[in-house]
Amino acid sequence: MSASTGTRAGSGEFILRFGAKQRVEHFVTMVDFLGLCITGIPQKFYTAKWAQWLIGTMGGIDSVRWIHRFFGVILIVSVVVHGVGAVLAIMSRRVGFSMAVNKRDFSDAIETLQYYLGAADHPARFDRYDYKQKWEYWSLMIGNVIMILSGLALMYPSVAARFAPGELIPAAKMAHSNEGLMAFLVITVWHVFNAHLNPDVFPFDASIFTGKVSRERMEHEHPLELARLEGRPADDGHGAGTGAHGGHPVA
Amino acid sequence: MRSFAVLLLALAALPAEAKIPAEEDSCLGCHGTDASMSMDLPSGEKLGLFVDQDAFAKSVHGEMLRCTECHADKSDYPHESKPFKSRRDVTVAYYEQCKKCHFSNYTKTLDGVHFQLAQKGNRQTAVCVDCHGSHAIGRPAEPRSRVSATCAGCHKGVHDTYATSVHGKAMLEGNGDVPVCTDCHHAHDVTDPRAGALSLRTAEICGRCHTDEKLMKKYGLSTKVVDTYLTDFHGMAATLQKGKKGRGERLAAGCTDCHGVHDIQKPEDPRSSVLRANLVQTCRKCHPEATDSFPAAWMSHYEPSLKKTPLVWSVRLFYYILIPFILISLAVQIALHLWRVVVNR
Repeated sequence: MSASTGTRAGSGEFILRFGAKQRVEHFVTMVDFLGLCITGIPQKFYTAKWAQWLIGTMGGIDSVRWIHRFFGVILIVSVVVHGVGAVLAIMSRRVGFSMAVNKRDFSDAIETLQYYLGAADHPARFDRYDYKQKWEYWSLMIGNVIMILSGLALMYPSVAARFAPGELIPAAKMAHSNEGLMAFLVITVWHVFNAHLNPDVFPFDASIFTGKVSRERMEHEHPLELARLEGRPADDGHGAGTGAHGGHPVA
Repeated sequence: MRSFAVLLLALAALPAEAKIPAEEDSCLGCHGTDASMSMDLPSGEKLGLFVDQDAFAKSVHGEMLRCTECHADKSDYPHESKPFKSRRDVTVAYYEQCKKCHFSNYTKTLDGVHFQLAQKGNRQTAVCVDCHGSHAIGRPAEPRSRVSATCAGCHKGVHDTYATSVHGKAMLEGNGDVPVCTDCHHAHDVTDPRAGALSLRTAEICGRCHTDEKLMKKYGLSTKVVDTYLTDFHGMAATLQKGKKGRGERLAAGCTDCHGVHDIQKPEDPRSSVLRANLVQTCRKCHPEATDSFPAAWMSHYEPSLKKTPLVWSVRLFYYILIPFILISLAVQIALHLWRVVVNR
């Protein structure tokens, strides 16, 4: 969801797409995710030589567990800050819920796949977040909730067993281990493709660090948002209004 | 030439008789006749000097060693009397004779806890002859129960506990399948169990028998116990801490932490520390805040199954389907995207 408050049409060339809060959030998430992966994945594959080497290098399994928990606590804090901030922002009606998944995302996905397959002339025209970005965002969010809840159950097993049947703990381990692996694989395959290897942005989409995107790219990737920002009617071929997509000051 | 070979064959075929080499006669002339022969030591103890000829002849050394090979300083007569203060002095002084022939086992003892304690000045710790005897040395593990009986000479309390355990009881009934002391502790390089090094290796030690399909089948026991342990928290931590030297903090339970050490019982025995009714108490040794629902967090050495642990089984199935589905979908979409870029060029 967009908490961007500073989005405005740039000086012709660039448009400020991400505000400071979003950029900081992405940076924290990125570092935290790396920290969790590097301390978590070797725990899953602890019989492998490389995993044992990594764990040994980081001071043994006990310190690796503490480092992992440290990053876990940062994840909890960042998810809470993000969630509360987003809910407050939406409730104050300063911004629209631009990350909300709607019917159009499904038709966009089908349209884009048709384009890839050669059955359509152009891909779907997107608003502030396209269906891929929404999918990744919500996958990450649901994944974070699973990881946090199962991680807490593993960190405090005897407390967890007080509130739930004991079987929840091995189930939490199963979920934590697999969800974590899935997150790692999705990020290495999907996010690295979209942010680095995708021919449109190759070698590096820096917008989440600089906050800026060229007008040309916006025209290409988020034409509906650009149109609204510039106060033009959107010629999106769907003829639908764009109100629901507004990630921007409504007034 | 031919007749010489025949003679050799004839000599080789002579019946082997338990006989002491003739050279011994001169020693046994004195030491083999009077069973009450002894000398007084300054400690007030009596040192017996009589050698039971028959016992020595039947021992493993009876046909190959002469008295002076061990008692090297007693080659002439009258022999000088060494200033031994006590019987222990005699034992400690003579035990190093064994290494002349048994060098590899002697070297192993240097890594053992008995030697380490001896180095610190404890003269009561076991040396070769304390376990093996001196003149009447036999095969140490014939019968196997002899091993535990030997250790019991000093470690009586532990042996009494062992004798009531599932392994000890079977051993006393003549079952050769169960472990005796040295199977876990080793014979010569006896590990100091107090440092926790042995506890972290229990998966390997207990696993030697408990992963043996043939042996476990005989008693209707599962061979999955080690694998299921190793894939869990405790097993993972134990695996990663195994290589660590020194005392260190032990953060992982090994087999014996739950099942007991010398007092291991069948899990269905009312005394067993892993019986369902006793399990919380066992968990509380490490997890003091554990409540009655806590032991269910442990899957009792079972692999996830729909019947025993439906939640764990379902979560696993969910991800076994979801992970490949998601990754294949993403890969297909990436491939299509790239294909479109190439076609449009």
